[in-house]
Amino acid sequence: MSGVGLGLPALLCAGNIVVAAIATPLWWAFSAGNGPRLFVNVPVNGWTTALTLGPLQILLLTALAYLCFPPMARAHARICLAVMASQPTDEQLAERVVELTRTRADVLDAHGAELRRIERDLHDGTQARLVAIAMRLALARQAIADSPRDEQFLEGLLRDAHEGAEEAMSELREVIQTVYPPILADRGLDGALTAVTARCPVPTRLRIGDIGRVPAAVETTVYFAVAEALTNVAKHSQGTAAGVRVDRMTDRLSVVITDNGIGGADDRLGTGIAGIRRRVLALDGTVDVDSPAGGPTTITLELPCGS
Amino acid sequence: MRVVIAEDNVLLSTGLELLLGRAGFHIAAIAGDAASFLTAVREHRPDVTVVDVRLPPSFRDEGIRAALQARQEQPGLPVLVLSQYVEQQYAAELLATAGGGVGYLLKDRVSRVDAFIDALRRVAAGGTAMDPEVIAQLVQRAGDPIAALTGREREVLALMAQGLDNNAIAQQLTVTDNAVHKHIGNIFAKLGLAVTDSGHRRVLAVLTYLNGAGRTSGQFGG
Repeated sequence: MSGVGLGLPALLCAGNIVVAAIATPLWWAFSAGNGPRLFVNVPVNGWTTALTLGPLQILLLTALAYLCFPPMARAHARICLAVMASQPTDEQLAERVVELTRTRADVLDAHGAELRRIERDLHDGTQARLVAIAMRLALARQAIADSPRDEQFLEGLLRDAHEGAEEAMSELREVIQTVYPPILADRGLDGALTAVTARCPVPTRLRIGDIGRVPAAVETTVYFAVAEALTNVAKHSQGTAAGVRVDRMTDRLSVVITDNGIGGADDRLGTGIAGIRRRVLALDGTVDVDSPAGGPTTITLELPCGS
Repeated sequence: MRVVIAEDNVLLSTGLELLLGRAGFHIAAIAGDAASFLTAVREHRPDVTVVDVRLPPSFRDEGIRAALQARQEQPGLPVLVLSQYVEQQYAAELLATAGGGVGYLLKDRVSRVDAFIDALRRVAAGGTAMDPEVIAQLVQRAGDPIAALTGREREVLALMAQGLDNNAIAQQLTVTDNAVHKHIGNIFAKLGLAVTDSGHRRVLAVLTYLNGAGRTSGQFGG
């Protein structure tokens, strides 16, 4: 675009020099009214105009070209360079591909590990309990037909089946909570974070901007990260106030968790921050922990979330 | 006693119908979504309602919103909300509506038939039924002030917060009414609470205290 913008005046300038130099001395060869025109619209119909205005136009346009073309060309070159510089080089693109390939493999690994964990939890927990319940109920059906009926045995079977069913429900609830927290499904990230901050023993202020649509994986990660960070605040920080701030910046979600406690939070203390880091990195996000001894602590997460 | 149920899952609504029918309740209507629940409540004016949190079409928190709206239309309408998981926020929202007659229980509790029926009758009578897990979370969070209580006093406190009256607490702990009365006196003295008669106001006082002990700003309010 800049080429057209700058090139068009230059072309007009050069064209009018040519008109003045060639067509003007030949003014007599044109039919009346169709002759060359100088200074945009002055008709050339005699040697006087041809010999005065002709050289004058050549002189003025040459001066204009001499003065203006070099800066215009330089400006054009600068614009072209700037446009080209903002395009990543092949090397940068290659690096990005390597990075994305690695994080994508991490995401798939993390996803696979998560599926295996869920499968194991359901298989070893809920499924095993259901089998045990069904066995006890089947035995109870047999025992009820016995004569004489062993009331105590029957009572024991039913009690075990009943308690087993309650344990299965409770285990299933825990598994569901780790897969996709139901409050997220019920109320979205906004409502879920309101619930998380409301139950933090340290008074916590939540500020959440207009974040629009966020992928479920990002919502889940933010939910767990904030819950984990606030658990740390309550357990270790000795703080009296905390804050959670969530903002959307076109294609990224930024989450900042702060407290006014004693600081010194790092990956080695328990699994809290390490867990947050693992979840966030798996989504190609970043985690920054700023927690000097004496506090305060600020944990900043950034997560890509489409645009 | 006439009941309107809001439950879209046929397995569960059939189970509830069986269970409540055997306990002598009359099922006036079973609604499969929030809108038909509200219509049924307007039409039947039931003595008590049982509402599942998740209902069609979006299966989010329609049940809670429908329960709140029903109580707005008919102040004091007894509502027992059943939830797949414990969310203090929901309990707080229900308790924040004016008057008693609110319950918030995990669905699992249905399987303890006697306790569930007791809770439903309590709610119908204008009392409160809070899930033990909601209370356990609040007690755990309250920390230090609760540590001054004896083990038995903590048990009594938890049962009080669930909405049980002195008699029910005495039965549950197999002690005398008198002993419960004494424990409650001690609890209120240790926590610096003004003694409130039993009922919804006492539950609210205890819940507000527990919630406030855990954090400075109150979440439960009457």
